[in-house]
Amino acid sequence: MNTVLAGHGLVKKYGSTTALAGVDVEVGERDSLAIMGPSGSGKSTLLHTLAGIIRPDGGQVLLRGDRIDNLGENRLSALRRGRFGFVFQFGQLLPELPAEENVALPLMLEGTPRRQAVERARRWFAPLGLDGLEKRRPGQLSGGQAQRVAIARALVVEPDVVFADEPTGALDQNTSSEVVRLLTSVTREQGAALVMVTHDADVAAHCDRILQVRDGRITHHSQYTVA
Amino acid sequence: MRSPVLPLTWHLARSSGRRGLQSQLLAAGAAAVGAFVMLVMIAACLGAGARADRTAWRTPDADRNGTAVQALATTYVRHEPLTVVSLAQLPGRPLTPAPPGLDAFPKKGEVYVSPALAALLHELPANQLADRFPRVRSYGTIGAAGLASPDELVAVVGRAPSEPAMSRTAAEGASYYDQDQAARAVVSGFSSAKRSLFTASDQAMTLIGVVLLAMPVVVLSAAAGRLGAARREQRLAALRLAGATPRQILAMTAVEAAAVGAAGALTGALAYVALLPALAAIPYGIGSWYTGQLWVGPAWLSAVVAAVTALITVSAVSMLRQVAASPLGVAQQANPRRTRWIRVVVFVVAVGCIFRSTGGGGQLTARQLIGLLVLFYGAFWLFGPWVVDRLGRIVGRFARRPATLLAARRLSDDPRGAWRTVSGLVLAGFAAGFFSVSQIGADTSQYRDQVAVITANAADARQAATEARTLLGRVGVTATVTVKGEDAYDSLLGGSPGVIAHVPGGTDRIDTAVTALTPLGTGHAPYSQDYATAYDRTVVDRIAEVSTATLALSFVVATASAGLTAAANVLDRRRVYGLLRLAGTPLRILDRARTRETVLPLAVLAGGTTAMGVYGSYQLNKAVGATIDTSGALQLLACVLIGALAMFAAIGGSRPLLRRVTADPARAAD
Repeated sequence: MNTVLAGHGLVKKYGSTTALAGVDVEVGERDSLAIMGPSGSGKSTLLHTLAGIIRPDGGQVLLRGDRIDNLGENRLSALRRGRFGFVFQFGQLLPELPAEENVALPLMLEGTPRRQAVERARRWFAPLGLDGLEKRRPGQLSGGQAQRVAIARALVVEPDVVFADEPTGALDQNTSSEVVRLLTSVTREQGAALVMVTHDADVAAHCDRILQVRDGRITHHSQYTVA
Repeated sequence: MRSPVLPLTWHLARSSGRRGLQSQLLAAGAAAVGAFVMLVMIAACLGAGARADRTAWRTPDADRNGTAVQALATTYVRHEPLTVVSLAQLPGRPLTPAPPGLDAFPKKGEVYVSPALAALLHELPANQLADRFPRVRSYGTIGAAGLASPDELVAVVGRAPSEPAMSRTAAEGASYYDQDQAARAVVSGFSSAKRSLFTASDQAMTLIGVVLLAMPVVVLSAAAGRLGAARREQRLAALRLAGATPRQILAMTAVEAAAVGAAGALTGALAYVALLPALAAIPYGIGSWYTGQLWVGPAWLSAVVAAVTALITVSAVSMLRQVAASPLGVAQQANPRRTRWIRVVVFVVAVGCIFRSTGGGGQLTARQLIGLLVLFYGAFWLFGPWVVDRLGRIVGRFARRPATLLAARRLSDDPRGAWRTVSGLVLAGFAAGFFSVSQIGADTSQYRDQVAVITANAADARQAATEARTLLGRVGVTATVTVKGEDAYDSLLGGSPGVIAHVPGGTDRIDTAVTALTPLGTGHAPYSQDYATAYDRTVVDRIAEVSTATLALSFVVATASAGLTAAANVLDRRRVYGLLRLAGTPLRILDRARTRETVLPLAVLAGGTTAMGVYGSYQLNKAVGATIDTSGALQLLACVLIGALAMFAAIGGSRPLLRRVTADPARAAD
């Protein structure tokens, strides 16, 4: 496996509570990793630490071999903007922007001229089944459509890693399955890695590997063979 | 069964957390500012009337069977008016009661002075001021009951009825320029309804200020009612889904908003009461105030608190109509709140009416002007959101940077909300445009360095000229004294016979000359250019003062409105801001977008209303035959600069809040 993102000996404490107690994890290109665990197990903390959102108290985070956990806030912010993509449960789309501009926003933030950014954003609509919805605002989209727009926004910058935090948490089962299938397949097609936090075993089953986390430690590591 | 509304409202308010509390505190703060500003303006309006009433005794109602003669004269020292009331008990008549502020009717030779005049008498050489009055060993003091302001310069002089100062020729139209500055009457008391020239227009002017400030305060209160709207909508939509009736939802909202509004309004009222002494020190017209003059009384206090509370409550309830109508009202709010073309149609019709009224170069009547102003005012309230909507679309089409695009899309997404945010300063711009050029031009240069002395006829004038040269020489004033006949209308004498002394050297020399020439002439006090221009200057000064005060308070209200709305938007949109920042969006982009979504409509609309204010003011000036004061342009510039700075500061004030609410990306539970 050609490792894209790695966390070694990750420790994170909140006061007397240990959220991560020396976690080791690696994600490769086209690899998809689901992190599962009960509430308070440390799974979101692990995702946020790997994504450079939370700075670990111990251990290292490496992106293609380069340490990122010791970068300054501005460089981390730029890293998240340019080399990572994010999909959250809900509420990540700006309600006043049409779908295509929501998708184009990360490119514009990176300095891409608006016209080019929107053109590149539009290319994502057909593969994600969003044809014809380019001008709609988030409030005019269904939950599943909104999540697919969010996936497009995560992928439009051609990131190394896509982080998804309960991306189907607000969707019904059928829509969940459709969204996560798209998320994993399109991410893989792009050559990006996927790290996803979920509490839903059916959703996790779409990923190549599953990490079970409890009390800040990895308790189980299973691997699927995805057709 | 006991209604669950109150306990549930209380429980939800208590459990709304720190951010819920922040919204409530902001709403209360807005209510406090609104109540405070309205109370200050009402206090100024009522106080101006009250203190004007205190000047009425100086021109008492005439009584043919009166017991005394009263003569009012006005003289100037250091360009400030000094009111001199001369009183003479008529022999063989019953004793006249004491005038307000005095313990007894003054005897001949007694001089009572206001505290401010006493200080000035002490400060200035006798030949500049004290020698205008009979020589006394000590001055009596006029009490507050006889004064409109602690700063007022007033003297009451006891005289004999036969003295020149008490004669008919000393007053009653002796000079073209008297215009309520001189009067004489036989009186039996001091009751009157006639206010002095220097206070008569005060109340009307402050009333204009109250009217102009009313709308920004309404906007501020409405903004306060909308603070935390998103949080409240989500919460109550959930309650609605849980089975609460629309009535219960509205009742809960009303109770919460009313409680917050009342707390804020009461705080504003308390601030007003606490700051009364400081407010009383702010000069207006004839000077500062007696604290009691600015006390509005419990009725007005209660009315303002109730009005602000009601406004906030109505605003909050109106925001929830959608939730109340449908449990899914919030979730279904997908379409942008578009403005309709009818707004621009109404605006065009209004502007058409205005141009039709003012076209052809004719002057407008006062009624037309008021109608025009109301039309401007109302038209912009309709037009504003439409302009914001179009502005958002145009800027959105051409925006190249993310911050500009975000700002533009937000403008066209909720143009009414954006309009409400900036409307206060837009209207302040209107006020600035209107008042800054409304300085009706009193010619202040024509009679500079002149002192006029009225005589009974031309022969007396020649004699007076000789005496004037002697008197002026005695006090070391070099002057050119000329004699004017009754046909010299274009002079400081305005057609009265007399002499004019040309006294170069500035204010001290003029004051010395006026003092030296006081014994001359018919008993009418010698006067300078200040006397001749007093009538116009009083109006000009009051407009300038009211415009400054209105502007200052408008900025206070508008800045508070903008700042609070900006903070409320941060709180209401904290999730999306937080997730954007988490995904790497720089905070400065979000901050720039927030600033631009306010600055863009402000720049366009404030410019528009300012131009309309200038135009309306131009018409007003034309109606009274006055010229526009070009120095008003500087005031306008200062207004725009202060407005821009205040706006940036107000929005910048919520930057730490934005940083704080987006700084905790790991708040999601594991």
